[in-house]
Amino acid sequence: MKVDDAVPNEFSYPGLGEIFITNTRKFINKVLSWGRANSLWPLTFGTSCCAIEMMVYGATKVDADRLGNLFIGDSPRQADMIFVSGTITKKMARRLLTVYQQMPAPKYVVAVGACNISGGLFWDSYNVIDGIDRIMPVDVYIPGCPPRPEQFLDAVKVLQKLINENKTRGGVYGPREI
Amino acid sequence: MDLERFRERFGDKVKIDKNILTLADKKDLIRVVKFVSKYFDVLYMLIVVHRPPKFELNYIFSRYQDQEIIQIKVEISDKENIASISNIFKSAEWEEREAYDMFGIVFRDHPDLRRILLPEDWPGHPMRKDFVVTEEIKHWTGLDLKF
Repeated sequence: MKVDDAVPNEFSYPGLGEIFITNTRKFINKVLSWGRANSLWPLTFGTSCCAIEMMVYGATKVDADRLGNLFIGDSPRQADMIFVSGTITKKMARRLLTVYQQMPAPKYVVAVGACNISGGLFWDSYNVIDGIDRIMPVDVYIPGCPPRPEQFLDAVKVLQKLINENKTRGGVYGPREI
Repeated sequence: MDLERFRERFGDKVKIDKNILTLADKKDLIRVVKFVSKYFDVLYMLIVVHRPPKFELNYIFSRYQDQEIIQIKVEISDKENIASISNIFKSAEWEEREAYDMFGIVFRDHPDLRRILLPEDWPGHPMRKDFVVTEEIKHWTGLDLKF
């Protein structure tokens, strides 16, 4: 979508330009990324043991909700980010990509565990994708086999920082900017 | 014990050692399995071993009443095909699909012989001895991606 036509570069009202020091474009970007960073609804894509740690992350002890990371609807249509947790086989890669393509545009990918980073234990297997960055752009990696639930918390903090600085890879559309 | 019945029925076509029946000819398989199905009611598993240039197929049957186990061993050349037993033991259908997936053994008269674990367009059969995991196969995704 080309927003350049829809949103003018300056407000026409007198006086408002003095309130916002930065220009409107920058301001709106900041508001948007603030909103996006603080309401990251994850899509849980668990295929093996990393998913167990992801459940602990969503539970009360390591509380995901306080970062706005709500485990609510497990639907790709409502998700902002995806936790790919577990080994991705070559057959599963197509399903993962289908799910990923169903997500709305500013979407972020967190690769959880050694299998998703490099293939991990199955690095020379004939049937395992060696690193999901071969099939989709990844923003944050969580190392470990499986990682601790606190590392998920850290990853989401890092992702929020990346969104605020507008440095995410943002899916197939490139960095999201108005 | 049922093994005596096998000896009476099939004579020297099967070689009996404890509870392992080795078939001399693969054409006898259907007849033997039909006979087995009178006394045994579950196919535990189908184990395939590749000893080039031969495949060794081990059908393991059991029954619920006393957990007796019987094993039927057939050897075929790795270019031959073999009759499916899925119309006698229904659970053989998936076992044979897996054997086809991993070893490329073609089962005649199988109702639905497709791959079961690997993607449909996957190149090769990975459990064969002559299969080598090359870089190309390791990086194969089957996806046409540009990003």
